[in-house]
Amino acid sequence: MEAASSVSDLGILDSVDDASITEIMESWDGFCRATEALLNGHGDLSVGSEFVSHVHSLCKRSLGSLVQDHFLRSLEETFERNGATRFWRHFDAYTHVEVMEMSKSPIQENGIQKVLYKALDDVSLEKQYQEKCLLMLVHALQSYKDSISEERHNSDAERIHLFSKYQLIVSSVLMTTLPRHFPEILHCYFKGRLEELSTIMAGEYEDDNESDDKDDMDLDEKNKVSYRGEMDIDECYQRRKFLENNKLVKNIGKVVRDLRNLGFTSMAEDAYASAIFLLLKDKVHNLAGDDYRSSVLESIKEWIQAVPLQFLYALLAYLGDSVSYDNPSSGLKSPLASHPSSCYPGIDTPSEGLIRWQLRLEYFAYETLQDLRIAKLFEIIVDYPDSSPAIEDLKQCLEYTGQHSKLVDSFISALRYRLLTAGASTNDILHQYVSTIKALRTIDPAGVFLEAVGEPIRDYLRGRKDTIKCIVTMLTDGTGGNPNGPGNTGDSLLEELNRDEENQENAGIDDDFNIDEKQDWINAERWEPDPVEADPSKGSRNRRKVDILGMIVGIIGSKDQLVNEYRVMLAEKLLNKSDYDIDSEIRTLELLKIHFGESSMQRCEIMLNDLIDSKRTNSNIKATITQPSQIGSELGETGVSLDILDATIISSNFWPPIQDEALNIPGPVDQLLADYAKRFHKIKTPRKLLWKKNLGTVKLELQFEGRVVQFTVAPLHAAIIMQFQDQTSWTSKNLAASIGVPVDVLNRRINFWISKGILSESLVTDPNDHIFTLVDDMVEPGKNSVNAGSCEELLVCDEEGERSVASVEDQLHKEMIVYEKFIMGMLTNFGSMALDRIHNTLKMFCLADPPYDKSLQQLQSFLSGLVSEEKLEIRDGMYFLKK
Amino acid sequence: MTTVNNSYQDNNNNPAVAATKQPLPPAKSVDTQSVLKRLQSELMALMMSGDGGISAFPEEDNIFCWKGTINGSKDTVFEGTEYKLSLSFPTDYPFKPPKVKFETGCFHPNVDVYGNICLDILQDKWSSAYDVRTILLSIQSLLGEPNISSPLNTQAAALWSNQEEYRKMVMKLYKAV
Repeated sequence: MEAASSVSDLGILDSVDDASITEIMESWDGFCRATEALLNGHGDLSVGSEFVSHVHSLCKRSLGSLVQDHFLRSLEETFERNGATRFWRHFDAYTHVEVMEMSKSPIQENGIQKVLYKALDDVSLEKQYQEKCLLMLVHALQSYKDSISEERHNSDAERIHLFSKYQLIVSSVLMTTLPRHFPEILHCYFKGRLEELSTIMAGEYEDDNESDDKDDMDLDEKNKVSYRGEMDIDECYQRRKFLENNKLVKNIGKVVRDLRNLGFTSMAEDAYASAIFLLLKDKVHNLAGDDYRSSVLESIKEWIQAVPLQFLYALLAYLGDSVSYDNPSSGLKSPLASHPSSCYPGIDTPSEGLIRWQLRLEYFAYETLQDLRIAKLFEIIVDYPDSSPAIEDLKQCLEYTGQHSKLVDSFISALRYRLLTAGASTNDILHQYVSTIKALRTIDPAGVFLEAVGEPIRDYLRGRKDTIKCIVTMLTDGTGGNPNGPGNTGDSLLEELNRDEENQENAGIDDDFNIDEKQDWINAERWEPDPVEADPSKGSRNRRKVDILGMIVGIIGSKDQLVNEYRVMLAEKLLNKSDYDIDSEIRTLELLKIHFGESSMQRCEIMLNDLIDSKRTNSNIKATITQPSQIGSELGETGVSLDILDATIISSNFWPPIQDEALNIPGPVDQLLADYAKRFHKIKTPRKLLWKKNLGTVKLELQFEGRVVQFTVAPLHAAIIMQFQDQTSWTSKNLAASIGVPVDVLNRRINFWISKGILSESLVTDPNDHIFTLVDDMVEPGKNSVNAGSCEELLVCDEEGERSVASVEDQLHKEMIVYEKFIMGMLTNFGSMALDRIHNTLKMFCLADPPYDKSLQQLQSFLSGLVSEEKLEIRDGMYFLKK
Repeated sequence: MTTVNNSYQDNNNNPAVAATKQPLPPAKSVDTQSVLKRLQSELMALMMSGDGGISAFPEEDNIFCWKGTINGSKDTVFEGTEYKLSLSFPTDYPFKPPKVKFETGCFHPNVDVYGNICLDILQDKWSSAYDVRTILLSIQSLLGEPNISSPLNTQAAALWSNQEEYRKMVMKLYKAV
């Protein structure tokens, strides 16, 4: 048996004689000529019989393998010359395809499309012809084998072997000659086609909108309705529409198949994939835009279903079964492959490849939208709660992509750049903080990322002096007004207080606030991050609740400071009340009590109780007057009766320090106060009243000739104007002495009356002394606005901003004075001390109320303050008294 | 002519209820805690009093041992001097007086060379109503008004009558701190 092995060939060569050699040479030459004629014959197969006979004769000499090799090499050369070179020449005009892409000219795109079709047709034709030639060779070989042996050879194996070799040759020839711009051209082509498809879809979305530039699409109007039907239109109709639209897809499919035949499988896939992704990205950007008031995720998903997936489905269907073979990752079983999908009512059984595509596209869409939203998160949160649909979208995206850290990083840098600057008011920052908490609570109920985002804001706010004040205002805002009123409830933390109260009614006692700091610390140390794969919607294991108030208090560090500030504000509010109506304050206090614990709000409660008691005591005292005995005759003389006096009786130990200012009030009033105090003592023995005469409000009426003017003023103002009842002109020194206040205070306060036109001021020789005169004729035109009839002036809080309660800053200042005295004291006795020692000594001995609680750094800055005030000196790290 | 007629509605004059302080019951058994408290409040009072020329402060880790400082009063022979004292409080303070000594040498009829002070309120006339501040003030005034009848330093007592010489002596012996 003559097996065509090279070893036996060589053995045979030794034994051949000259005649055989000549014969072989002739046959070979004939074969070569026939091959060349065949390959270049352009369809002329007339040399076929000659070719076959040469092949046979060469095979007889066991030169079959040489025949094959030569033929394949000839094919390669011919293809390189006729196929590849010509193929590439088609695209020479598009060397700078990127530039053209910029111009977006439809003509150019059309050109590309046509050229691509033409080139692919040509090269396919060439390839088909060569395949025909190859087939001839295969047949020749086959017929020879059949002739020399009766048994049937496995002819298919031979054929497949040769064809795969040929396929390889074609691919490698094309690849080695690939011009650089070809992938761009492909990309450009697919992009153009997909945009067309998308336009059709868009037209179909707006049903009435006739899309006019269908130009080169061979589609009629009916196609416009096609894919939308997927959801609701019945299957047959949908299928029909889909097939009608198929022509466009078929064109694309043909291109893809041709490319595949030429060995450009992966390049084609890359090209249409990138075109799809690009289109998807554009779509997401278009849909999402800068509108945060609507959710776009659903419409993006719908679009993915409608356009790219339909396209891919059609493409894969067109390409047939080879789909799964061509898919590079088909070996991997998608976890969702077996998932019964309801998304494809129009598609019988979605192929694995299609599902993978869907997953890829959706992931890409989520990621794109997420990136878009994260970049604009700051604006979105500014718009919260209007922007909650965008937040909801972002949440879904993040659940899918899990790129929370991207959000944290990007948002923190936006915060630093845009919010945490000197120009932003503390109120704005706080409101943004609250919005952030609310928004991120939606995204991440466990609060893990909120923690990270909130930290820079908290740090920054701690550095601002008015933070506590703003927080307290936010907490109590709206309490004074109608709760159903038009206030901006979104910003008020009071709402938050209310909500939490409701929660707690269900949940029982809240432990968040009552646990002491130690417990807090232990909890914090025990904390572990949620596992990355944890489902954010389920919350973390210990079910921490994102609590806005808790996070706000967290800014300040301790609730005590907050409570203290609230106490001062409450005191101010209560002291300025002229009725005893404190219902709203009581409500706020009750809410605060729930959060901060009964004990910390105790003082505030006592303050409110003082008001309630005052009301009762006041009416009790009034009741004693109605008994006709007593000192009624005396009162008649003074012209004032207790009826007009309402007192607020406070337990001053529990109130914040109250500003005390000496003041001589007019005799009759003083007598009235004394009388009131006497009656109080009678009722409440052994308690006695100590009047704070500078506080409160006085309603008074000034009667001029023919005119009456009413005012509501501070007691000091009333005392001043009373002095002018008997004496119409005073020097400031005398007036101050008579009222019992310092001259500068008088000068400041008397401005009120001057501005009202009641008094006039004139300078005398002594620059420190002024003369104030009662303006007799107030009707003088142009003097001021108070010129006719009676009018009521209401002065709630005068412009100097006098406060009746020492502010928290004042209290802080007082604390610092205590420290200063201690520091002076210890330095007097010890000479010189280092910072550490001063710090420790203060800690040990300065147990005032509140005790020394400053850090070493705070002390250092305080000491350097004293040094700059020239009270202390510092040398070699030791502090001395400045002598 | 105008008349000023006011109707006073002094509805917010805030009288504070006078807190009636209960006198502290005399402690029979002295516990350290109350002594500490007493010394701490004395320190606070002393620091806040702002009296010129006297001062005292506990040593670093022991509130029972204080260092004191007294400046010689104006218009006395001790003007311009500063004397350091040590005060050590017994555990049953304030029922017993603290031991007070001059740390700086002081040429004074009632102060001996070791710095011991002869002052009645530090011995038999002691009362728990006294505190650090009154002790220091007493010593400060003792400087200007010595008790010549029972001197510890007889030389000083003898020289006291000659204020000019006495001043020279004080300045000679005074070592500026």
